[in-house]
Amino acid sequence: MASASDVSHPVVFSTQTPYTLPSQKFMIPASWKRYHLSQLVNKALSLSSPIPFDFLVRGEILRTSLGEWCTEKGIGEEETLEIEYFESVMPPQRMSSLPHEDWVSSVSCGLQGHFVTASYDGILRVFDYSQTLLHATQVHEAPITSVSLVHNASLPEDDILVATASHDLTARLTQVNIRQRNSQDENHTKTLASLHLHTAPLSSISSSSSGAHIVTASWDSLIGVWDTLIPASDEVPVDESQNRAANRKKRRKVDEEGPRRKAPLHVLKGHTARVSKASFATHSNNIAYSAGFDSTLRAWDVENGVCTNTITASTKPFLDLAVSSEGTAIFASSSDRTVSQYDIRDPATSSSAAPVSSFFHPSTPSCISLPPSSSSSHQFVTGSYDGVVRLWDTRSVKNAVTSFKPWEGGKKILSVDWGTGVIAIGGEGGVDVWRLNQG
Amino acid sequence: MVVKELKKKRKVVEDEEDVLETYFPQNVGLELGSEDESGGEESEGEVDEFPELDPRSDSDEDGHAEEEDEGESEEDEEDEEDESEDNASEDISDDELRIFPKAKTVISDITGQPKRVYPPIEPDYDSDSSTEETPNRVGNIPMHWYDDLPHVGYDINGKKVLRPARGDELDKFLETVDDPNSWTTAFDKKAQSDKPLTSEELDLIRRLQENENPDAQYDPYEPTVEWFTGKGKEEIMPLSSAPEPKRRWVPSKWEKQKVMKIVRAIRQGRILPNKPKTTSDKPQFYAIWNEEPSTHPAPLPAPKPRLPTHAESYNPPEEYLPTEEEKKKWEETDKEDRERDYLPQKYSSLRLVPAYDQFIQQRFSRQLDLYLAPRIQRTKLQIDPNSLIPKLPSPSSLKPFPVYKSLSLAHEKRVRSISVSPDGGWVVSGDEGGVVSLWEVTVGKEVKRWKLTGKIGAIEWSPRIDVSFFVVGIEDHLHFMVPPNLPSNVLVATLDLLTPATLPPQPAHPSPVKWTSISAAAFAPEKPILTVELPPSSGVPKQITWHRRGDYLATVSGGEGQGGVWIHQLSRRHSQAPFKKIKGTVQLVLFHPTKPHFFVSTQRYVRMYNLAEQKLLKTLQPGIKWISSMDIHPLGDHLIVGGYDRKLCWFDLELSDKPYKILRYHSRAIRSLHFHPTYPLFASSSDDGSIQIFHSRVYNDLMTDPLIVPLKILRGHQIKEGLGVLQVKWVPRQPWLISAGADGNVATWFS
Repeated sequence: MASASDVSHPVVFSTQTPYTLPSQKFMIPASWKRYHLSQLVNKALSLSSPIPFDFLVRGEILRTSLGEWCTEKGIGEEETLEIEYFESVMPPQRMSSLPHEDWVSSVSCGLQGHFVTASYDGILRVFDYSQTLLHATQVHEAPITSVSLVHNASLPEDDILVATASHDLTARLTQVNIRQRNSQDENHTKTLASLHLHTAPLSSISSSSSGAHIVTASWDSLIGVWDTLIPASDEVPVDESQNRAANRKKRRKVDEEGPRRKAPLHVLKGHTARVSKASFATHSNNIAYSAGFDSTLRAWDVENGVCTNTITASTKPFLDLAVSSEGTAIFASSSDRTVSQYDIRDPATSSSAAPVSSFFHPSTPSCISLPPSSSSSHQFVTGSYDGVVRLWDTRSVKNAVTSFKPWEGGKKILSVDWGTGVIAIGGEGGVDVWRLNQG
Repeated sequence: MVVKELKKKRKVVEDEEDVLETYFPQNVGLELGSEDESGGEESEGEVDEFPELDPRSDSDEDGHAEEEDEGESEEDEEDEEDESEDNASEDISDDELRIFPKAKTVISDITGQPKRVYPPIEPDYDSDSSTEETPNRVGNIPMHWYDDLPHVGYDINGKKVLRPARGDELDKFLETVDDPNSWTTAFDKKAQSDKPLTSEELDLIRRLQENENPDAQYDPYEPTVEWFTGKGKEEIMPLSSAPEPKRRWVPSKWEKQKVMKIVRAIRQGRILPNKPKTTSDKPQFYAIWNEEPSTHPAPLPAPKPRLPTHAESYNPPEEYLPTEEEKKKWEETDKEDRERDYLPQKYSSLRLVPAYDQFIQQRFSRQLDLYLAPRIQRTKLQIDPNSLIPKLPSPSSLKPFPVYKSLSLAHEKRVRSISVSPDGGWVVSGDEGGVVSLWEVTVGKEVKRWKLTGKIGAIEWSPRIDVSFFVVGIEDHLHFMVPPNLPSNVLVATLDLLTPATLPPQPAHPSPVKWTSISAAAFAPEKPILTVELPPSSGVPKQITWHRRGDYLATVSGGEGQGGVWIHQLSRRHSQAPFKKIKGTVQLVLFHPTKPHFFVSTQRYVRMYNLAEQKLLKTLQPGIKWISSMDIHPLGDHLIVGGYDRKLCWFDLELSDKPYKILRYHSRAIRSLHFHPTYPLFASSSDDGSIQIFHSRVYNDLMTDPLIVPLKILRGHQIKEGLGVLQVKWVPRQPWLISAGADGNVATWFS
């Protein structure tokens, strides 16, 4: 056999990026690696500034030389390979670290330039990009499990509305003024309403893109749908137990100026076990998706409060869920260490529980996040209990595109959020922010 | 044929002996050949001429051979009729004779010596068989093979012999009328036509009809051959003139004595002259198969001596010959230690091989072997070992079950006990430092921590859904704790249950167990809301177990006295000791999930009591040295018991007091067992640091045995001070497992 450099493979390139090559066969030497191929594409297109590309061969990202890949897969020299390329994801770099005293259960970078974190000590914190703590408010007595930013145009500038869900069976809407630097001043944060429905700890809260509605998911298998209007008076009477509890005085004092007790618009019933995540679709304010421990994914018509579609997987208690911005794909992580991609558009496919593709993790994937807007529709990040954040490409099922470890010592990751250009990671070690350069 | 040839040979010898004599009758034979009798006469004449008989043959044969010989030698001159008559029975032999003509021995005119003369071949038509009319050469085959063909066979040239035309029945009839000889014709299969029968054949038919000998040659009235009568043939007999001896007519004295002896014997009755037959007249058959086959084993065949190998050959191949070193080594080693008892030796030929010097020795040892060696028949079991393994479903088909460690929570001290809330969301774990942690199953984040004083021996969540609290057992105390963040109605119900506004009336017999609770108003989640004070020095509670309804709970304490078993009733706030006296130390107790039964496990036995009737139902004997753990199937018909001697016994309570199945899969003592409340799973944990997951499907049908399949060994806990995994608990509603290890880690195992 001739030396490896002499062997060349016929290759056809395709891409979904604007950088397209003419569709013709290239004879690529087998010894070439990603770098060579990337240079080839750059030179062929005579790009002014070099753009690194990654190459997908049959659903796998090329990591070795082409020849090694072929011998590993047992592919002959004569076979034409179709190689798809896309702009490389540069390895993320640690941008900043936001230390917390307790575990961070949820982090959101929905507000440009800021991070909103919720911690197990019940404190809601707001950071800006320069790692300065703008606010820290004890919203809940119990651990906060989830935080979500609510877009509300009616609020004054520099004020944001934050929804938090907690173990204390309530969710709260809190108005935070991010301009205020002095955290001692009490006027800048105000808990506007507390949402009373659930009889078990809440697992997630999520607001619609318009900011008009909120869904909460709870361990009691219910999903609550709420509007974000603050009622003038309590909609739910104060609990009897709290009246007769010893700390009655304190409670009453809170009640006087405290949050309004709010009742849900609808209660979505259908899950038979804990609902781990409920989330609005980004493209529509009327569709919500939920994932539960009963191994089902459900799509809901929020206005009418009915379940429109159910995907029943077998023995996959779902832990988290993310919906692509077009609403085409739904990603759900389950306790059997997989992240599964489902197509939820067609109700006819609901019976077939087989996922479109599955991404295997070495540990429990606890959280998923999709990139903001439709910048790269094929990618998503997952955080898992082994403390590794993985960036996946849906076209490459076998292995992650890149992965990084925010903390040493296998500290668990509980939340990831992918903002524009940044990935915020919340977990056992606080919050870490990593910069991700795309394209 | 052979006989005939022999005769011919003999004839030739005779010819050679006396040529003239044989030659003479040949000439005479011309006239006599046609008649049978004349041949007989002639032979008689011959016999007459030869007074000395050849003992090898009798005259008849001789004469017959002579006659045949004549016929053969004169065949050319004889007419057709004679030939056919002679050879009618032996067609083939005649043919052969034609091919090899008989040689005649004549006296040479020139030398005067006898010489052989073959008859000249006459080239006339008669000598050739081609003129014969039988052209069909198909041979001896069934002629019906040609039934459907236009021909009946092939002639010698391979030409088809066509089937002769045959008329219909009318023609046949006319033929019988026309032809006077038609009644003597018969159908010849080979020629497929009617052929007139020859006179010999007709004669044969006639003979057969008249029951005569079918052989025309046979003469039943042959003249007598006078051997001993006549002149010169008389025999002179040697007769004695001695007088006849006396013994011929005098009665024998000895005979008389013998007879008298018998007569005396008969008189005395020693001999029974007509011995009556003991059995009836029916024949006595011996039922050969009636007897039981002997149980004595058949003598074992002696072991066969080993077959010789190439090395034992007198001329073995070179590679078998020992080298000098090997030879030396062989000689040096003791006889008993030698690998083989001979040295291969090479001889160029078998002649040079000396006598076998070991012969006597070898025979002797062989005899010793046969005589002294005890022989046992070893029956080999022809069983494929794989067929003995029961067919179990593959673990992958029995999913879900826990397969990996998802998260773990670290305690500072050894964690003895854990419990999972009935809704499956929370775990409480208590370590020996008195720290109780409440944490989420799926996140592993400690949400609340209580610090108590003393070792925590047991912790158990109340099985009730409408209230939520758990019981922590530390030294001499049971603390009832309420988790935080409860819905208001559950909290109210819990407080009402644990600190009722009106205390129930005190029982008539005051119990040594004190129930003290703080008031509902003073409730703070950091403090136990209710404390049950066990009698002093009762030690750390080893076990807390709830009745299914959640009103009763039983505790087992490690201390001495009364076995340390207490049953507490929440609604009456009353504790009682169910047993006045108990033999042995109580290890564990258990409530039956459906019936009012109560299991008490001492170190050796598990006793099952009926609480309603206050009596012992049965005693299970697991055969385990020191029972360590026990759990009952949620349906209540099956019990598993684990012991410190690594054994796990599965009891079918309906079946027997003995274990249905004993599993010994752990390499160290079993510490804990737990059945999953809903999934068909159970787990066992051991001091070897591993947890084993089993599939255990129990059928409602009484005929089907429970199916137990080992599924998975979960490793991940460290062994510390000889202790491994101290307790395992399933998460209700999910196939997840929580395990507490001696290393202080509490791990969650996800499917």
